[in-house]
Amino acid sequence: MKPAWFDYHAPRRLDEALHLLAEAGADGRVLAGGQSLMPMLNLRILSPAVLVDINRIDSLTSLDAGDNALRVGALVRHADLLRSADVREGWPLLWEATTQVAHIAIRNRGTVCGSVSHNDPAAEHPSVLVTMGGSVVIASRGGCRELPADEFFTGMLSNALEPGEMVVELRYPRQPASTGTAFVEFARRLGDFAIAGAAAMLTMRAGVCERARLTIVGMGEGPFRAREAESTLAGRKVGQAESQDAFADAAAKVVAAVAPHEDVHASSSYRRHLAGVMAARALETAFARAGGRPVG
Amino acid sequence: MAREQSIKVTVNGRTYEKTVPVRLSLADFLRDHLHLTGTHIGCEHGVCGACTIMLNGRTARSCLTLAVQADDAKVITIEGLRAEDGTRHPMQQMFLENFALQCGYCTPGMLVTAIELLQDNPNPSELEVREALSGNICRCSGYQAIIDAVLEAAQQGNAAWTDWSTRSQER
Amino acid sequence: MSDARFSNRKIVGTSVIPDEAIPLVEGDGRFLNDIKLPGMYHVAFLRSQHAHAKLKSIDTENARKLTGVIKVLTGRELLGKVDPFRSMPNRFSGGESVQHWLAVEKVRFVGEAICAVVAEDRATAEDACDLINVGYDPLPVVTDPRLGEKDGAPLIHDTCTNNYLIKREYQRGDVDEKFKSADLVVKRRFKIGRKQALCLEGRGCVAGYRENTFTLTLWMSHQLPYVVRHYLARHLRMAETDIRVIIPHTGGGFGQKASIYPEEFVCAHLALTLRRPVKWVEDRVENMVASTHARDQYIELSLAANSDGRILALSSDVWVDVGAYSTYLWSAGMEPLQTAGLMPGPYRIDALRYCTRGVATNKTPTGPYRAVGRPSAACSLELLIDALARKLELDPAEVRMRNLIPNDAMPYRNANNLVHENVNYVPCLELAMAKASYQAQRAEQRAAPLNGKLRGVGVACFAELTGLGTSTAVGPGTLLQPGRDAVTVRLETTGVLTVAAALPSQGQRIMTAMRQIAADELGMKLEDITSISNDTATAPYGFGTFASRTAVLGSGATIKASRELRQRILTMAAFVLQEAVEQLTIVDSVVRTLDRSKTITLAAMAEKSFFSAKDIPQELNQGFEVTAFYDPKFGSFAAGAHVATVDVDPKTGLVEIVRYIAAEDVGTVINPAVVEGQIIGGIAQGVGEALLEELVYDENGQPRTVTLADYLVPSALEVPRIELHHANTPSAALGGFKGCGEGSIIGALSAIACAVSDALNLKGGDIYDFPASPERVLRGLGVIPSEPMD
Repeated sequence: MKPAWFDYHAPRRLDEALHLLAEAGADGRVLAGGQSLMPMLNLRILSPAVLVDINRIDSLTSLDAGDNALRVGALVRHADLLRSADVREGWPLLWEATTQVAHIAIRNRGTVCGSVSHNDPAAEHPSVLVTMGGSVVIASRGGCRELPADEFFTGMLSNALEPGEMVVELRYPRQPASTGTAFVEFARRLGDFAIAGAAAMLTMRAGVCERARLTIVGMGEGPFRAREAESTLAGRKVGQAESQDAFADAAAKVVAAVAPHEDVHASSSYRRHLAGVMAARALETAFARAGGRPVG
Repeated sequence: MAREQSIKVTVNGRTYEKTVPVRLSLADFLRDHLHLTGTHIGCEHGVCGACTIMLNGRTARSCLTLAVQADDAKVITIEGLRAEDGTRHPMQQMFLENFALQCGYCTPGMLVTAIELLQDNPNPSELEVREALSGNICRCSGYQAIIDAVLEAAQQGNAAWTDWSTRSQER
Repeated sequence: MSDARFSNRKIVGTSVIPDEAIPLVEGDGRFLNDIKLPGMYHVAFLRSQHAHAKLKSIDTENARKLTGVIKVLTGRELLGKVDPFRSMPNRFSGGESVQHWLAVEKVRFVGEAICAVVAEDRATAEDACDLINVGYDPLPVVTDPRLGEKDGAPLIHDTCTNNYLIKREYQRGDVDEKFKSADLVVKRRFKIGRKQALCLEGRGCVAGYRENTFTLTLWMSHQLPYVVRHYLARHLRMAETDIRVIIPHTGGGFGQKASIYPEEFVCAHLALTLRRPVKWVEDRVENMVASTHARDQYIELSLAANSDGRILALSSDVWVDVGAYSTYLWSAGMEPLQTAGLMPGPYRIDALRYCTRGVATNKTPTGPYRAVGRPSAACSLELLIDALARKLELDPAEVRMRNLIPNDAMPYRNANNLVHENVNYVPCLELAMAKASYQAQRAEQRAAPLNGKLRGVGVACFAELTGLGTSTAVGPGTLLQPGRDAVTVRLETTGVLTVAAALPSQGQRIMTAMRQIAADELGMKLEDITSISNDTATAPYGFGTFASRTAVLGSGATIKASRELRQRILTMAAFVLQEAVEQLTIVDSVVRTLDRSKTITLAAMAEKSFFSAKDIPQELNQGFEVTAFYDPKFGSFAAGAHVATVDVDPKTGLVEIVRYIAAEDVGTVINPAVVEGQIIGGIAQGVGEALLEELVYDENGQPRTVTLADYLVPSALEVPRIELHHANTPSAALGGFKGCGEGSIIGALSAIACAVSDALNLKGGDIYDFPASPERVLRGLGVIPSEPMD
């Protein structure tokens, strides 16, 4: 399985890359980690005329744990996040989700920005970005813009990028105090594409859920922000006694709301069922980490 | 027309300058241009792990890397694990003694992945070994002998390196 | 002399580290894709995108014009020049299936080869494939064998009525009577999903023109060098002696590389017509559709039993989805005939009836894959026995114990006309249960684990007929009877022994085993023995590696050849040393008198034989090269009992294997570590069969599992640590050996299936449809609504 021909460029500066992308328009593709793109090229699912390899652009490698936000440049690899104590402590949801990404060799090369741009429904990073309320910094020859995560993902394998644009950075806000997070996913084997998963973030104050954020992985159209489930929990008293019911309610809202696709690994009814199971598990674990009871 | 490019890449300690088609994978470059056929191709979509090599000190799928991306890079393949005098790398020796290979097709990827594991985690549990190797498919062995080989290598404590020149300096 | 027990055993029975492994661990393997010849061209195949269609037109003009393209070959050009594959005859065959190497009038499965593009490199050949325009006239598609056999279903082959490539009915014993008079009848329907061997290395070949003295040399990733040579000669209309077949290092075979396929034959033809070497390497996407599939069976199975759990009779209806063509060499009959015919397994079954069908569908043709029909048969029967046990409220292991053929009843002829002897069915089960602490596990299961999971325990017993001789066919009615094989031993003039056999390994270290045997037979040091195994120019004529035969046939032939050679050596040494033959022995590659007073090395003996022949009477110097054939006549039964313990997550349906015990009888063991590797490797593939692997097609015959992200094989996390034990007893074959390459996959699929069923039954659920994917498990529990099996 050899790829079709393409023109290849490996610029050393971002402005060069953006110029090349602008010229190539819809026929151009960014090559970062290549772990999603190269299989598609090898399988001839995609045959871009122009490949712009950004791996020589040093400015894109920065991983900056700031007071307000984590800034992840386009060349930050999954493995870089895992090796960062700052990320592990300050952005635990992001860190935990990254441990589930594929396998070591893939994590060594694959990039976080690449995974977000690719927006595979089974991928971890899009849902994490949504749950954490992050944003996507997009650059083009014409300038820069920043989109909230909710607006970036526009459908299965689709995003809000226009031809000539590329993601240069992701921003993840710090989580509030008294917040617990959890990322869970279900796959046939460890490291496989998730059939369903959930990224949950619960901020608790005095036994009340102040804020709940929940995004479901694997539902077909991209990260599914479970707003009804979140509403069910926001402001709700959630102590040890009530937690099971609360999260069961939230999970039921998820099951009612999602419209998952079917594929060779799972029917839509099984996916729907799993969405509820994953939601409940993620919420229970997030709750425990926010200071609630330990997960049994 | 940018369809061919010159690259300079160091593989197993030797530097090569070659002109390659831009669409050529690193796997095909190693195998067909450098005649290092020890690295194997099993799927060309990054799943099976047979093509895994070390790229700048970290494992990578050579089937998902373009040869042109290896310009200025350091690559280690299975052929680089053996010393010039023919001495096997301790991980290779452990594989041999534990019958950790049958057809041998997955072995190149298994070896470098196991070595990287011990570099990151010198004393892994059996579960950690299985997790680390879960991205390398073996169809023959059922993995048990491979796990045993890696655990024994960890116990002996001398298999977590890939550079013979450094290794001999350590002695 | 024909002692069943192996004599002089010193090296046989030890886990010698195989020399064969050294080049592989050092990265010096020479696999097919490593072979490069000067001036070599590369081939890519354009493959059908339709499951069933008439080929209206093939426009290759743009492809031919592409720079770097040498030739584009279509099926029409081959007509009259080469012979297509006609299905191998079998007494029970339906009509004939004719497979052109490149489709001519019709395509019958997605992936069928239509054109061969020859170019300077593979990427260019693929570019050219993209430029070929094929006009298809789609035809109605058959994807379900139970629909395909109905009157009025679309016909895939004009001469195969009801799409039967094979159909057989069989009865022995008074089946109806037993079903009428039995205390109870238990009946179930099972589905075993479609699989493939998934060798890590795909198929491939390099065809060379006029390499050395051979018109055609074919390097091929394959298991049967002489068989390939034979059929190449036949189909290319050449003399066999003009062809040389060489098997390089092979990355897995498992039976998938034991069939004859069109692609390699096309490459051979191209090399001859272009007069240049031609290479084809099967990539993974091709492999998913172009290499044989396996299993894909519907089984309706009934047993008649008494209230003490004794099974009186078995009756089965089997439908095997054998794909679009009767695979060349083995025929579509293999799986249907084996599944139904070998259903009784290790149990005393005196009455058997079956109707088995191999129905053609518009899918990739099926072929032999590790244990062929036995895993499906055993899995179904083991699940049915568990159902029987539940009905009778008896322990499942106890019911098996009551039905296994006990040693004191042997030789025992079953209702499928196989005679069981020299095999340890009951001891294996006893050993497995003891090592698994079976009673304690059942007690633990009743106590309900605290982790919220459903605990299941599955026990499975199997019989495995290995090392078939000429009186047992690989499938009833099969006219191909590969029941014998040959080994040559030759003492070189430097005292090294060469053992040669056409028995290539794909990791099972066959020649290491043969060397071990020769070492003990001849009294030689193992390091003084080398081997040749994969070249028709240098190995004696033989069938090759498949059907768990090499440990029996290869060993038997090695023993016979070695004994003859030993006799020749001692006869000549008696003259050289001036001693009686009875006073001589060979130890550590040295001939000596029993009292050690006189010695001569084998090297000196061999040198004398050649270079000092004038000093030795001719009748005492026959030369130190012996070829021996061995036919064990009958097969040698191997056996096993596996106990699998699983935890099922009732929320996700995920099955985790928490403990696995295997107790096997593999006869006299040559190299224990190699045997262990084979058994565990087979269990791993059984894990895949039971839980993960499935090839899926949609109703249009379009494959949905096209990459390794879709077709899931077990990784190091899915295969548990296997606790392996032995209850070996020698076979009656020469040396007492048995094959061990295929048995364990039978035990693993069955034991894990039974364990999952056992877990589900705790909640009143069950499962009959495998692999036991998490979704099927939840359907079996009623957590999500079931879909009917139809």
